[in-house]
Amino acid sequence: MTRILSLVLAAALTLLSSCGGDGTRTLHIYNWTYYMPDEVITAFEEEYDCDVVIDYFSSNEEMFAKLQAGGGRGYDIVFPSADYTSIMIKLGMLAPIDHAMIPNLQYIPDIVKQVATYDPGMEYSVPYFMGAAGIAVNTTLAPPDYERSWMIFADERLAGRMTLLDDMREVMGDALKTLGYSNNSTSPDEVQEAARLVADEWKPNIVKFDAESFAKSFARGEFAVVHCYAENIIAEMSAEELEKVDFFLPETGGSMYIDNMVILKDAPEKELAHQFINFIHEPENYAIFLDEFSFPPTTNTAAAAYMETTPLYTAEDLEGYEVIADLGEDLDMYNKLWEPIRYMD
Amino acid sequence: MRKPRKDKAGIMLAAPMGLWVTLFFAVPLLIIVTYSFLKKGLYGGVEWEPSFDAYRQVLDPDFIAVTLRTLWTSILATLTCLALALPTAYAIARSRHQTLFLFLTIIPFWTSSLIRIYAWINLLSTEGLVNNILLALGIIKEPLHLIYNLFAVILVLVYMYLPFAILPLFTAFDRFDFTLVDAARDLGSSKLGALVRIMLPSVRSGITTALVFTAIPVFGAYTVPLLVGGMGSTMVGNIIVDQVQKTRNWPLASAFSVILTLVSLIGVLTVLRGGRKDKKSKEVRT
Amino acid sequence: MRKVHAPRFSQLCLFFVMLFLFMPLIVVAAYSFNSGHGMTWQGFSLQWYEELFTSSHDLWRAFWNSIIIALTSSLTATVIGSAAAIGLKWWSFKLSGYIKVATYLPMILPDVIIGISMLIFFSSINLPLGMFTIYAAHTTFNLPFTYLLVDSRLDEFDFSTIEAARDLGEDRKGAMLRVVVPSIMPGVLSGFLMAITMSIEDFVITFFVSGPGSATLPLYVYSSIRYGVSPVINALSLILILASMALAFIFRRFLKSFAASA
Repeated sequence: MTRILSLVLAAALTLLSSCGGDGTRTLHIYNWTYYMPDEVITAFEEEYDCDVVIDYFSSNEEMFAKLQAGGGRGYDIVFPSADYTSIMIKLGMLAPIDHAMIPNLQYIPDIVKQVATYDPGMEYSVPYFMGAAGIAVNTTLAPPDYERSWMIFADERLAGRMTLLDDMREVMGDALKTLGYSNNSTSPDEVQEAARLVADEWKPNIVKFDAESFAKSFARGEFAVVHCYAENIIAEMSAEELEKVDFFLPETGGSMYIDNMVILKDAPEKELAHQFINFIHEPENYAIFLDEFSFPPTTNTAAAAYMETTPLYTAEDLEGYEVIADLGEDLDMYNKLWEPIRYMD
Repeated sequence: MRKPRKDKAGIMLAAPMGLWVTLFFAVPLLIIVTYSFLKKGLYGGVEWEPSFDAYRQVLDPDFIAVTLRTLWTSILATLTCLALALPTAYAIARSRHQTLFLFLTIIPFWTSSLIRIYAWINLLSTEGLVNNILLALGIIKEPLHLIYNLFAVILVLVYMYLPFAILPLFTAFDRFDFTLVDAARDLGSSKLGALVRIMLPSVRSGITTALVFTAIPVFGAYTVPLLVGGMGSTMVGNIIVDQVQKTRNWPLASAFSVILTLVSLIGVLTVLRGGRKDKKSKEVRT
Repeated sequence: MRKVHAPRFSQLCLFFVMLFLFMPLIVVAAYSFNSGHGMTWQGFSLQWYEELFTSSHDLWRAFWNSIIIALTSSLTATVIGSAAAIGLKWWSFKLSGYIKVATYLPMILPDVIIGISMLIFFSSINLPLGMFTIYAAHTTFNLPFTYLLVDSRLDEFDFSTIEAARDLGEDRKGAMLRVVVPSIMPGVLSGFLMAITMSIEDFVITFFVSGPGSATLPLYVYSSIRYGVSPVINALSLILILASMALAFIFRRFLKSFAASA
């Protein structure tokens, strides 16, 4: 019996360790799912004669938990959003960016750098994309006079046919903005008022907080109004179907995000990582990314010239939108208020 | 009654598993227990400062309500699983093609669970297949709300864990000597009576295993309530995941896990002890 | 009359349960032939199959990673779990209580906790994350299932058969191989099948213990499904189902003798 055991173990070990490399350089990227066109990556692999291996995460927190527990070794480039970028800078997890190696930084507009208060000089992070979540309305299902603001979620006529994102900072931030406050407010009164707005006026009308499957149900007509990112909807619907969809960013403002490219302190391929970041911000390449997701050229203005599609929203729509910032200790206050909203009936 | 033996063969047989579990599990478990008594780090992780905060937070009324809801949902789902699995496993065990059926039971589960859950969302939606069939048959006049509620959570949970109940029950039925039932029937028992009195006691350990295999994973379910549940469908599994992946409160997640482990262990030990006592009394009788 | 009537109800149940188990797969199969990308039907097409076989490099790599991990971890768990079930059932020694209880634990703890704690453990002993750490984690959470299924099979084992074999001149090893092993086979097979299933399915634990480039199929699927999973995955699922059904059918005779040797 022991002999069988050791045989099995030996076989397992050989099988598992047989996967090796062939000498070419490999760039390891840890990115959001579905956030970079394959086309661009293949082009990079050819131009620099290397392999690009991408692993995916689906939320900042998930990615950060893994890095926190020591699971980040081997990755070169990671794509955290603004709040997590500032945390990673604070915790000293990142390598400095060598501007000389990334001439294409010139295309990143000043407005983005101003908004990125945690790292305005791009010392540790290079903005990848700045955008915002909005509201998608299926116009064939909604009453013609629906309100084009966050208060659409208070519309009882649409009760049971709407979803909000399962994301505390997005929802609370939009509620704070609706009330005229900052979405990074740390005033207990303001945050409580926002929580009451969500709990008393929005929540009774929505089916659920959903960040996973709502886009599919929206495409099928199960939901009439969803709080979403533009790319969620694009991925599920054809151009024809999209004609009946009204996607907008409310004028009262809301939460905005900046996703950055950062190089980890222990990255094995720092040079290749810099080359990759530069390659991404080449306006021609960047336009391919924008076209694929119908994004506006907020983060690389020169790319506009190469774009072939009309984005679902424009850079101007982002007026009044504020980047989600790290709240430090004050996040607990949000969590406490959010718990009953999210977990109870 | 077989006697426990005292030579080395037993320990040789059990040692690989003992070592494996100790190395790859007992140590990580100790980490969790330690974490549950530490202070939460601002950005996840822990600070090395002893604290009972986590256990105090577990007693939050909202969390208790979610725990009770989880318990209720799990009981319903587990019992439904068992009710479906009993006759199915019986039929498989008595079939001439038992291995084929065994594979057929498990093969659907080699497709990613997420894909199957999405398929269920599709089936159960207002304009989905199930509603359309019911409408066409004239059983209902208005589409039913089949999704984003407790019903959907229980249905899909039953779906996800049914094989976990069928397989152990099959192993139990398979070694049962069916001629005993016929003998009892010849002695005048009714069909059901014979099944209940002769068969149930001897497949009891199979039932216990099936119960443990379904109840425990169902109790920790995460994806199903998240995807097919509605507003009030959150289960304990979701809270634990959220503590790690959203609120960055690792000690609270650890404390929940420690409590979950203790409760489940007490359950398992009670069931095991019950089984053992039962066996003893049976042995006395024979 | 009575005897013919006997299994009817259970057979009906079996039929409906099979229907229930395969129902979602009908949807998966249908959408793999959809010419559109989304959830609305837009006509028949084989484009996703074409994409699967021409340009899905990452998907195939994840797929083979999954298969390797599932087979190696299930095999390991089945062998050491079955051996331990016999050892713990018939012999008693110090620590046997500890091993029994410790084996239950991986089943009880939530996945995310197992994932994180194993990750902390692996990184504190400087074990690089990758296929080996996934294999170790999967074997661990498979163990309770393989162990318990054989254990419950042994419950009603007729010990006199071993004595009979010994009387007939078999040594202890021979008796073990020729009497015990065949009689626990259905339990071993069920345990193995369950282990394969658990391993092929697991997302959360694998997420934490996987290293750069060692993504398995569920990792690939989970990360992509939120943003409109490509129907290529439906195509792959259907092929996988049909292939495993074909294998089960082709080997049904072999499997039958394998299980029926009890």
